[in-house]
Order: sequence, then structure tokens, then C-alpha cells
Amino acid sequence: MTETGLPLAGLRVLDISSFIAAPAAAVVLGDWGADVIKVEGPEGDPNRRIMHDSSNYPKSEVNYPWQMDSRNKRSIVLDLKQADARAALDRLIAVSDILICNFPPPVRDKLRLAYEDVKKVNPKLIYASLTGYGESGPDRDRPGFDATAYFARSGLLDAQRYEGGPPGVPGPAQGDRATAMSLVSAILMALMHRMKTGEGSWVGTSLLGNGLWSCGVIAQAALVGAFLPHRPPPDRPRSALGNIYRTADDRWLQLTIVRADKLWAPLCRAMGLEALIEDPRFATEPERRARAGELAGILSDTFATRPYEHWREALAAHSVTFGVISRPQDVPDDEQAVACGAVVETAIPDMPRTLADPIRLGFATPRVAHPAPALGEHGEEVLREAGVSAEEVASLKASGALR
Amino acid sequence: MTPEEPLPLAGLTVLDVSSFIAAPAAAAALGDYGADVIKIEPPVDGDPHRNSFRNASYPQSDRNFPWQLDGRHKRSLALDLKTEGARTILERLLKRADVMIVNFPPPARERLKLRWEDIEPINPRLIYCSLTGYGESGPDRDRPGFDITAYFGRSGILDAARYDGGPPGVSLPAQGDRATAMTLVAAILMGLRRRDQTGKGGWVGTSLYANGVWANGTTAAGALVGAELPVRPPPDRPRNALTNLYRTKDDRWLQLLMVRDDRLWETFCNLIGRPDLMADPRFTGRPERRAHAQELHDLLAPVFAGRSYADWEKLLSGTGIPFGVIGRLADVIGDEQAEHAGIFADTDNPAIPRTVNTPIRLGFAKPRKAGPPPEVGQHNDEVLRETGFSESEIEALKKAGALG
Repeated sequence: MTETGLPLAGLRVLDISSFIAAPAAAVVLGDWGADVIKVEGPEGDPNRRIMHDSSNYPKSEVNYPWQMDSRNKRSIVLDLKQADARAALDRLIAVSDILICNFPPPVRDKLRLAYEDVKKVNPKLIYASLTGYGESGPDRDRPGFDATAYFARSGLLDAQRYEGGPPGVPGPAQGDRATAMSLVSAILMALMHRMKTGEGSWVGTSLLGNGLWSCGVIAQAALVGAFLPHRPPPDRPRSALGNIYRTADDRWLQLTIVRADKLWAPLCRAMGLEALIEDPRFATEPERRARAGELAGILSDTFATRPYEHWREALAAHSVTFGVISRPQDVPDDEQAVACGAVVETAIPDMPRTLADPIRLGFATPRVAHPAPALGEHGEEVLREAGVSAEEVASLKASGALR
Repeated sequence: MTPEEPLPLAGLTVLDVSSFIAAPAAAAALGDYGADVIKIEPPVDGDPHRNSFRNASYPQSDRNFPWQLDGRHKRSLALDLKTEGARTILERLLKRADVMIVNFPPPARERLKLRWEDIEPINPRLIYCSLTGYGESGPDRDRPGFDITAYFGRSGILDAARYDGGPPGVSLPAQGDRATAMTLVAAILMGLRRRDQTGKGGWVGTSLYANGVWANGTTAAGALVGAELPVRPPPDRPRNALTNLYRTKDDRWLQLLMVRDDRLWETFCNLIGRPDLMADPRFTGRPERRAHAQELHDLLAPVFAGRSYADWEKLLSGTGIPFGVIGRLADVIGDEQAEHAGIFADTDNPAIPRTVNTPIRLGFAKPRKAGPPPEVGQHNDEVLRETGFSESEIEALKKAGALG
């Protein structure tokens, strides 16, 4: 399953994790050449069903989240509560380089999957731990999710709201995928350490830690006693020229005019509001700031009369700076998304395109995504590679330890 | 600058030829783990990020906290890259460096001869790390990209992060930049791994846009197969009343995340003192609870509004029902769990006695303690001497204006 020429070729990864952040890190390692074996319980990773279970996922005939988070993996099903299944896992651990685990600590203890347990089996192993809230402390055993640990507990959602409104909305798995890149970095540091010292190690990260790192500017501000006021809603902006406006076709434009002295007249012309240029109410920047609500009302009424495309062209023609707020459905057809390597082709017939991980290397191209495995599809193959005999495999199957 | 412990990146020299946040934050993370980071900045004003704290969208403080955060562990060399003398210095530094981080837009790189093609002949073992807003090719390759435009706006995150009928979501200062920094670190480490294996350097990189799309990957993957993208209904009109936000008596927001309501429904009804709901035909199974989400919400909202968040915390903890508070940063900085998770760290920097760690944790090493970031050009002489320049050469370069 490995290809030479990729930086992680030759590495074997046991992905004993579920849902998204930790499995996504395993995906990234697989993209760059590692042989990833997904170890699942008899019911399989619940991420296989999340598209149906979660009301916040777009529904499709194609199980796209599972395909995306399991590409290029092989699956073995072991019922780790059975002693012989646990013993078979040790055989795999003995021949692996990396183990990714996101069970809460009490489950690790019960399954003898803490670092102290597996280190004895393979001292060169890199044990990558993902937790919701860290490895110690009052909430170490608490299951953590993207929405709770990364977004809510970190203060992100509270900070991401409009004044008086409800907390912000996290996109599905948005923090999980960002966290995956930290876990990959941690694993790569451990590989570097192993290359120098010959020793394996424990590495890890938490969803809470990643949420706070991503809002590091305001977290650092809070640490020195400074806080960010909630953003006023678009109809009561601090500045009408740094604000968002809805267009006739229910799209949003983000005006980001920093040099208002230069761009005030071009903006008025682009919007067909020439009379405003000399309007004494808005003649200077302090006056425009003082009457921000009034000005935002005028601009808002005007933006609402024409569709997004019209404004995009008109603003560009007058060199007025603005930001695009794309809709997710615009991304697949965005030429730049393909050019920057974000959208790539796959070898998955019912999902011909997917998202690449964000790492780009001049010396290697990531593996093309092949279909995610069926539950337990590669159990026998994987165990035989680890030196487990055909008889032993048969007896594991007979006892129900291997499904 | 020698690290006290055998950190995994000790012995590596990083040239941080970048500005603002995503790329410099990656350099700070490399410094956390032992690398010697030399920041190359324009003379006098330096990296414009030194003034970000004056930005109206930042929390207002008289302390320059963002620069303190992103400038840690760095030494500063002030070079006017447009001068010939500066080029001489840069090339001497490049010969000894392991990693170079660049985020100029492509036209500026061409002008300054700072593309990988320009650098590779000088040091073929170098890892050249590129950050762009929108990638290395395509119609928008030359466009300057920022966190809010490239990571959040263009990727569809802000559009997806809204309530039905409401305005787009709000992103926080540098939120996408800092997430992107961890991708840059991973890319650099892959480059170093390949160099350890083959002896060759190489180009590595990422873009803000690709990171935004990756973070938004579930929604974007849905869009790629033409899936219908639901806009989230506001909390008072949920699709599922058991994965929703509820306001508590003390005006906090509690996030109920009962994904496995097939298992937890009865536990929940008993906990909230409404065992009668179990027998209510509107709520007997998952499909019924979904079909009557509005009615269930209308029942639950006053229940949640009847107790303070602290009381809910006591009641729900240990029951297996996933829930969380919508944390406020004012509380997070004193959160005992954040201390345990190693999220904040003490510094040797009087301006910011505590700072935010990178999210990477290693069993075999602790990140370096952060000291104060450098003044513009603070380490000019020191860095040049280490690179083998003589005192008279340094004087001449200063006179020529190459060195700020």
C-alpha cells in the first residue's frame, strides 16, 4: 500500500480513532505515503454514519464525509474487549510506527491502550493522542467534540457573535480538521526525534488547545486584560465603509475600505450615488464615522437593488476594495480552488472530486484518494502481513474477536 | 540562543522573511521547539504586524500583545532587500540556513529574486516554505490574501457560519492565520524528513485559501457531490432540539449535543424531571423527536431557562449526555482545565507574563519559555558576525543603507 518517493512511504499507522480530528490526521499521513490501518470495533467508526445522524450535514446519496476521512485506509475489525483480539492488536503494534488514539482516558485504561501499555510492546512506537480537553485536569475524561471543546469552551463562539445575538455557528468538523494539522506536526516532530535517538514517544494535542491557538490574538489580549467587544450587527456598524451588505439575490459583499479619503468618491460613483460625494453629512471620515448608521442605511438600500454580479463588476471597475463571501457551493467551480490544489480528482467512482489536505510539497504529489474501506475489509490481509498465521486468523474469527 | 534542552528542532536555523501572522506564527512555533529563528524585516518600521495592535478590530490595549505573541524567540535582522549589499548578506545567511519562510506575493518574489528557483542554486539543502493567499498558480495567484478574505470569505466558511436569514458569520482576528500556521509547520517537517532521507532540500508550502477549504472540508465535500447545504436555523427554530443552544437563567448559553439520543433520551427525561415525556407519542423515537423538534424545543427552552449554567453543569456532568458551555475568554484564561492542557504558559517577558502555547504536545520535550520579541534590527551585528562578516564589512553595509 505504500509508494516510494512520498515522504512518509514505509511508515505504518494504526488509526485507532473515531469521528474526525484524529482520523483526519491519519488521512493526511496516508496522503503522503503512509500505510494507514483503521482499527474499528464491531460497529465501526460512527463517522461512517454521521451524515445520517447529524442534522447539520448536507445529505447526499454519497457518503462523502466517510469517503473523505477514510481515503486510502484499510480496515480491520477487532473486538478489543476480547483478550485474543487485544493480543492480535499487540502483534500489529509491534510492527507499526505510529498509533493514533482518541479514546477518552478511562477507555484507554480499560483496553490497556495507554502509552505506558503499548510502549512495552514497541518502544519505537510513536503514540499520538487526541483528547477534547487535555491529558489531566478535572475534564480529562470528558468526551470532547469540535463544537463543544474547540469552539464553545475556548470562547470562540462567544466572541464570534453579533452584539445581542446568539453565539456563532461552527461549520461541521471545522475545528477538527484544523486540529488534524497540529496532530500531524506533533507526529512529524516525534519522527524526527526517533531518527535522532532511536526512541519512540508520546505526542498529542487537544481540541481545546487548538481552539485557543486559533483565537490566539484575542486569547493573548485576554491574558493582558483586553477584550474584544462583540461586533455590532451590519445595520449598526462602527464604520459603514468596513461593513457587509446584502445584495438583491441574497448574497453578501464585504466592503473593506481602509483608505476612505481616496475611495469615497469612487465608491459613490460605483454605486450610482454621485450626489453623496459632496453631501456635507458625509464629507469627511470623522463625519462618515459619526453617521455610520445613517450611511449604512443608504448603502444597504442601494446594494439591495441589484444582484451580486452587478456589484462585483461595478466595484472592481472603480477599484473599490471588497471581499467576496463565497457560498460553499461556489467552491467546486472556483478555478482558483483547483489551481491552488484544494479541489482534486479521486479514484472514487461516485465521488470524483475531493479536498486535498492543505500541505503542498515541491518534491511529491499526494496520493490519489481511493475508496474508503468497507468495515473489516482488510482484517485478514493486515494480520497475515503482521505475521499472524492462517490458523490463528481462523481461530480469531471463530471466537468473534476478528469480524 | 542555545536551547537548554535537546528540543526536536534544536540546531536548525530558520529565516523568517515573512510578515503579518500565518507565516510568522509558523516560525514562532518552530522557535518554540528549539529552532534559531532570524526574522528579516525592512529597516525602521519592520514587519507591519508590529502595529497590528492599533487595528480597530483588535482588542484595545496599550500593550503590543499580538507582536509579543508572534515575535517570540526571534532575532531581528533589518535588511533593505532592494539593495545589493542586503542581497550579499541574505545569500551568506541562506548558505547556512535550514529553512526559509516567505510570504511575499509572487510578483514581489520575482522582483526580489526570492523564488525557490532563485534560492535553490545558493543552498540546495534548504527547505523553502511558501505561504500565499490563493496558491502558486491560477487567476488569483498574485492577489494579496488575508485571513478574512482568503481563509474565511472565499472558502465559504463565513457564508456557512450563519443562521437562516441572518448575516454571514464573524471571524476573529487572525483565526485562520493561526490554524494555517500548523499546516506550514507540518509541511516544513515533511521537507526536513525528506532531507534527512535524501540529502535534498525542496519547496513546501500552503495557502490560506486551501486551509479555509480544508477546515470547511465537510461542507465543501458535500458541495462537490452536489449535496444540499442547509443553512442553520436560529436556536429558537432547531432542526433537532437535542443538538441545540439554550439560554440559561444567568444568560449563558448551553450547548446540548445529544447525537446519540437513541441511547440517552430516557436518561435525559429523568434528569430534567420530565419522565412523562418518555411516554409522549410525539417524542417516543428519534424520527418522532425530529419531526416534532419545534414542540420539543418549546418544552425544553423554559426548562433550561429555569436554572443557572452552574446548576446544569452539576446536573449533566457524568451522565454521558454531551453538553458544553459557550465559554467566555474572560473565564477561559482562568480555566483550570486550560492549565492542565498546557494551553497557556508563563513567559520571561514582563509585557505579557502569560502567553498561548502552540497546540503541539511532546512527551520528550517542553516548548521553550517565551522571552520578549526583538526590536527592529536588534540583532544585526550579532547575526552578521555569526555568519562570518567582519566588523569593517558590517560598517560598510550599514553605510550603504543595506542594513537598517
